[in-house]
Amino acid sequence: MMAYAYIGHEAIDKSALEKRVVTVEDGAVCTFVGNVRRHSRGREVAYLEYNAYLPIASRTLQEIADEAEARWQVKLAVQHKIGRVELGEASVVIVVASVHRAEAFDACRFCIDTLKEKVPIWKREVCPDGAFWIEGEEALPASKAD
Amino acid sequence: MDHDSGPSTLSSQEDEGSGSTRLIGAHMPTAGGLKNSLTAGLEIGCTAVQLFTGNPRQWSHPSLTDDEIREFRATHEQTGIPFLVAHDSYLINLAAPAADVLERSRSAFRGELERAHALGIPWVVTHMGSHLDQGEEEAVKRLITSLKEILEETEAEGCTAGVALETTAGQGTGLGWSFNQLGDILKGVGDNPRLGVCMDTCHVFAAGYDIRTPEAYRETIQKFDDQVGIRYLRVIHTNDSKKGLGSRVDRHEHIGMGEIGMEAFSLLLNDSRLLHIPVVAETPDAQTMHRVNVARLRRLAASGAYGIVVTAQLFGHYSDLFPGGTVDVLLPKGAVVNDLAVALTDLNPALSDLASHCRFAIADDLVDGTTALREGCTVAALPPSSGG
Repeated sequence: MMAYAYIGHEAIDKSALEKRVVTVEDGAVCTFVGNVRRHSRGREVAYLEYNAYLPIASRTLQEIADEAEARWQVKLAVQHKIGRVELGEASVVIVVASVHRAEAFDACRFCIDTLKEKVPIWKREVCPDGAFWIEGEEALPASKAD
Repeated sequence: MDHDSGPSTLSSQEDEGSGSTRLIGAHMPTAGGLKNSLTAGLEIGCTAVQLFTGNPRQWSHPSLTDDEIREFRATHEQTGIPFLVAHDSYLINLAAPAADVLERSRSAFRGELERAHALGIPWVVTHMGSHLDQGEEEAVKRLITSLKEILEETEAEGCTAGVALETTAGQGTGLGWSFNQLGDILKGVGDNPRLGVCMDTCHVFAAGYDIRTPEAYRETIQKFDDQVGIRYLRVIHTNDSKKGLGSRVDRHEHIGMGEIGMEAFSLLLNDSRLLHIPVVAETPDAQTMHRVNVARLRRLAASGAYGIVVTAQLFGHYSDLFPGGTVDVLLPKGAVVNDLAVALTDLNPALSDLASHCRFAIADDLVDGTTALREGCTVAALPPSSGG
């Protein structure tokens, strides 16, 4: 079975994502929610803006999700939001359903870690006194303000 | 030179594509606000605009306000003009013999670079100063020191705007009219992605380098490549000359209407080595004639048989460097991804780390530097990502 992987502008509906994968066979459901927080490396954040290179981002996210399903024999759904994401809102949600908890935790962790490393998505932190592009570990001042 | 296949081999569609992608424009007036240079430039069909970011006949400039910077950048985004270049103040003499003038010049030129950086203008064109009969060799040394120091100091402040040294006509005691001297100055400063050259056709001609026939053009560009290096070229000022070959007098004339004549501009605009280099007219009667000169240059560019148009799509902080985060680049046929990276760095030195910092993709495939580019393809540059 192919995992569910989606990148788009829509707000992420966590329970809809859970419904996609959870059945009565599953004794464990592990859901990871990546939220936008107020403080980032000493800066106060007003909101975030994500953009993606979709031709590769969509394909890569699908490959990561499929690999996690196959490796741990779980069912997985992952969604990433692009565009403006407010404080407290989810930018990414991963749901993993499995018979036992160990596989669910491992597959979920693999999915978020690999997503961060490999999927071409960038975030721009918009702060009260300027914006920053985050590229890997670097934060670079953005020259366009909002 | 590479214009062996005639216009007859081209479809009209290719004609239009190349002609409109070519970065062609003029020095535009800034009366009423810096941003007016962009709206007026767009109005007359510029895809490249040169401007003064301060009064070119004054030493001191009130620093740009945040509002001015924001307005200029917003107008830049709206007009979508891919290439901007600033021209420095006429008073600046980075080779000045008098210590006070030299210090004033260095400080003013730092200001030029800082203003350009704040406005998102990648290059500042400057003349190389004058020795004022106080010893040419010493003046060259002072110029080199000035450039080294200014590049270092501004780099430390995070400035990415580069310096394009303009070939001069050799009027009076002006430096940098001979290709050999310009080459020595570049060597003296040392390799730096923020150091380039602006070739002015009127100045080159007045300095004694002929470009009026295919043979003369070939010889002059060969000399330029040997003694200066085409790889340093960042901008071309396309000006005809009111004065004759070797006159050492700097008087600009409308394209094709002066001593240089139309053929030289056709040769220049159809030289396959220079397709991505922006050309800017600094011809007289801006209000009435810039439109005519820009159209003339664009027609000459569209008449040749050359090149492919490739769109570069930039992500992360690089996307701030061009309106909409994309720029169309004209490259010779047979160009590969690495050639695109070099051309992008020529357009903006802030892209000099692009190739080492980014992966490249065409559609949903990652590609390497040796991948061949096809007409109309889009190459995405992907810096380290930050999803999640």
